Amino acid sequence: MRSETIPKISKELCNRMLSDLENARRPILEAVKCSLDNSNYSPKVGYLTPGDKKVRTELNVSSVQKMSRAIFLLEVLLRNIDTGAVNTKRELYYIAKGEVKHDPHLKPLDFQDQSESDAVIDFICEMLECYREDLNCYANDRGGQTYSNQLVVTETLPDGTKAVVDLSSLGTSPFQPKNRPQSLQLKAKKKIDFCLVVESEGTANTFVANGFCKRNNSILIGAQGVPSNAVRGWAKLIQDQLRVPIYFFGDLDAYTIQNIYRTLKAGSAASLIRNSDFSAPDVHFLGVLPEDIKKYDLSDYPVKETDQSEARALKKAADALKNDPFFQDKRNKNLAKMLEWLLKNKRRCEQQAFFMVDPRDPTMPEKIIVEKIKKGNFI
Amino acid sequence: MAKDKITSSSTAEYFSKNLQQVGFSSPTKAVLTTLKEAVDNSLDACEEQGILPEISVVIEKKGTGTLKNTDLIHIRVEDNGPGLSLDDVPKVFGEYLASSKFGRGRCSRGQQGIGISAATTWAQLTSAKGVTVTTKTKTMRQAVQVQVAVDIKHNKGVLKEKKEGKLKNPHGLSVEFLIDGRIQLQGEGGLITYLTGTALVNPHLTLHYTLPDQKPVTISRVSNDCPEVPSATEPHPHTMKLGEFIAHSHLFGRITLKAWLKKGFSRISDNSLAEFVKNGLNKKMLDMSVDKINEAQFKDIFSVIHKTELMSPSTKSVMTIGEESFSKSVRRLGEVDFFSVVTRKPTICDYKPVAVEVAVARLKGVTKGEGTEDGPVQVLRFANRVPLQFDKSACAMVKAIESVNWRAYGLQQPKDSLPSGPYVVAVSLVSPFIKFKNASKETIDASDELVEELRRTLIQAGQRLSRHIKKEHREQDLENKLRYIEQFCPILVDCLCRITKAPEKRKKKATEGLEKILGRDLTAAKKEFKEADLAAKEAAAKGKIQIITDDAVEAPELEEKPSKGKKREVKSQQPEAKPTKTTAKASVKRAASKEKSAT
Repeated sequence: MRSETIPKISKELCNRMLSDLENARRPILEAVKCSLDNSNYSPKVGYLTPGDKKVRTELNVSSVQKMSRAIFLLEVLLRNIDTGAVNTKRELYYIAKGEVKHDPHLKPLDFQDQSESDAVIDFICEMLECYREDLNCYANDRGGQTYSNQLVVTETLPDGTKAVVDLSSLGTSPFQPKNRPQSLQLKAKKKIDFCLVVESEGTANTFVANGFCKRNNSILIGAQGVPSNAVRGWAKLIQDQLRVPIYFFGDLDAYTIQNIYRTLKAGSAASLIRNSDFSAPDVHFLGVLPEDIKKYDLSDYPVKETDQSEARALKKAADALKNDPFFQDKRNKNLAKMLEWLLKNKRRCEQQAFFMVDPRDPTMPEKIIVEKIKKGNFI
Repeated sequence: MAKDKITSSSTAEYFSKNLQQVGFSSPTKAVLTTLKEAVDNSLDACEEQGILPEISVVIEKKGTGTLKNTDLIHIRVEDNGPGLSLDDVPKVFGEYLASSKFGRGRCSRGQQGIGISAATTWAQLTSAKGVTVTTKTKTMRQAVQVQVAVDIKHNKGVLKEKKEGKLKNPHGLSVEFLIDGRIQLQGEGGLITYLTGTALVNPHLTLHYTLPDQKPVTISRVSNDCPEVPSATEPHPHTMKLGEFIAHSHLFGRITLKAWLKKGFSRISDNSLAEFVKNGLNKKMLDMSVDKINEAQFKDIFSVIHKTELMSPSTKSVMTIGEESFSKSVRRLGEVDFFSVVTRKPTICDYKPVAVEVAVARLKGVTKGEGTEDGPVQVLRFANRVPLQFDKSACAMVKAIESVNWRAYGLQQPKDSLPSGPYVVAVSLVSPFIKFKNASKETIDASDELVEELRRTLIQAGQRLSRHIKKEHREQDLENKLRYIEQFCPILVDCLCRITKAPEKRKKKATEGLEKILGRDLTAAKKEFKEADLAAKEAAAKGKIQIITDDAVEAPELEEKPSKGKKREVKSQQPEAKPTKTTAKASVKRAASKEKSAT
């Protein structure tokens, strides 16, 4: 949805609510249910899509606060769209508090915590089926630092002017993709062979420093853990506009596969309404694969089940195998098998383990990666 | 062979060296135990004679004590009881294990005759003076004052300095101790906690007390029924062990088994005998003489009796407060919001008849310590109407309270802990044979059977209480709904109108529509509240819970005494029990008027 249409549908929504009230009918707000039990996956589509389930909020004494807060914040967001102002969620929290401070009449709407205003913003997005960026509410651009000697990015600025960035001219500085990559146009100066998304940003920097981009016609991205909207949208843009194969290189553990890779490839259940623009279904899992451990004699180690976060990751992976339509799909059976292997063996191997194959050759991980791509040794 | 000569010591010698075992382990405890023993004796004496007790307590600091970090404390307790004859005075105050109650199986406060003699010993050891006793019986023409000391070597009381005495009442007894000790007023081991606790479980008591740096206080009685002192009933067969059972038969000589069972035990009737036969007792044996019955036969008879269900021990064998009196007494705890009281029928735990009573009350205006909004509830423990003030955590009563799921009744409760909130949980256990953990009677042994019996009583009290709490929740719900309507409706309509740029006419119409919608919600909430209110009222009518309202507030029970002999009515020490504002009623009225305007 484009920002221009939001004021119109918001007005229609409010008009409908007002008419309901005039006729003493309870207005109902409907929003997409963003949860795994309302997620569908089709390999043809390639990402998680919302099902038919809706969250219905009917006006009653208990929900009048939630509705009032939603309409109050919607008014603030519409004002932002009107004036072109942008804000983060935290800023909006303080703006809301400021409104209350200046008008004591609004005191009952006051948010005690940012999580309360965040939930209302998410509810508005789910209700209008739009991205928060469409409401001029941006998140911090985290992760996705990109290096390439072939890529040129053209950004259309809000005032219509265009900015062209040739990534080869940035030296050792990376290009930082935006949370709203739809305003970017990509062009390859020369044929790009592949795009590599590395889970660890530090390792991505090492590759660049060791000359990865000089030796390979490629795009190198550091994901910095769970991919942010910026990374997800950026990968989708590269996939759609440049049509180059994309590979993900990360740790071999349940968290990486189930959380990081799945989100990059098919989106997440929490963001069902935005997965279409924020997932890259063609991305492949390059490794570390279970067979790599044997093949390259990598050092792996047991998962500490006493560690709360690791135990939670294992439990989540077991749940994912049972309930996640992505892992249940036949096309992803190799990924599901890998999760099963991890659950059974309870071992993990980190991406940096490739550095132990030849400790005196800093380019050895690069060589293995390129060899794996050439031989099709990925999922 | 040991070279040292083996000598024997008197009981008094033993206790004088081990006073910590009977409650004199610290200067603070010494003051409390002395007071406690004196008050217990007064109450027991009054009840024996059917006299409504009126006790005056005066505690003063008289200087510095001889022991390190102690004060010289003067404790005076005077009652309106029957008084003691001069012959009995040295036995009661100066001789250990001299008691009129020992082993008689009665629920009196004192049992063995140790406590008050120990207090005399403590006074003798710390201030070199025994106890000063002033007594007057009905037959005495003049009150007599004597000093009693303990002859530690021979375990005998010695009278000194006999002279004419003075008492306020026509008959009674006054005891005065001068001891080394320290005064603690509030808290678990505090004197005020003891005195108010004693008043709670003795509704028939009028108590006057004056404590250092405090104004004199009078707690008036709320019941004019002097509890019947439990008569020494025949033992219940289920309370006996085999050895006791056989020995008991020897007291009756040549008598048939049938006659012995009926005469020598309580709760055995002709029907019970028929039940015994049904359960395997040889019918012919009933006509056998007990002196002809051998040990094996006794064992069979004993096991048949234990297999057969019998009526619980008589309520007369245990002295309960009763729900009515307990209810009246609970109000003396402070500003009570509402409370529930349960008196269970006596039952047998660990072969002993016991009766448990519980009062759970919610207090208003408690701001610090136990029984505040966030802190644990205040637990008051009583054994045979005597407050237990130390070693709370090991007590069967506390274990029972912790084992109940209070969350189900609307109270907050951390896991495996006491519930929290502004509540007082008073648990009273009465039994002729309470199993204390130590000689100073500070905590009750937690046997499984006893904890279960206590737990059941607490659950009953909790269930009764929950009716009122549920009503309150509904009331709160109704309040919230009203508040929400008042607060959010105008904001919602204003925001919608601003976004849609709607004219004033639409705004007015939408506001009316919104009030109509929410008015319907309010009607439903009102209905729920009314139902809960009705349930609570029904429970209150049945006496299961009591809610303190305008009508229920009685004259203040706590009165200050005129300071200079002038008789005048003065304000209560604690603020009067203000009527609970029936906010729910106000809410319903407001809601009704809202609804009226909305529709």
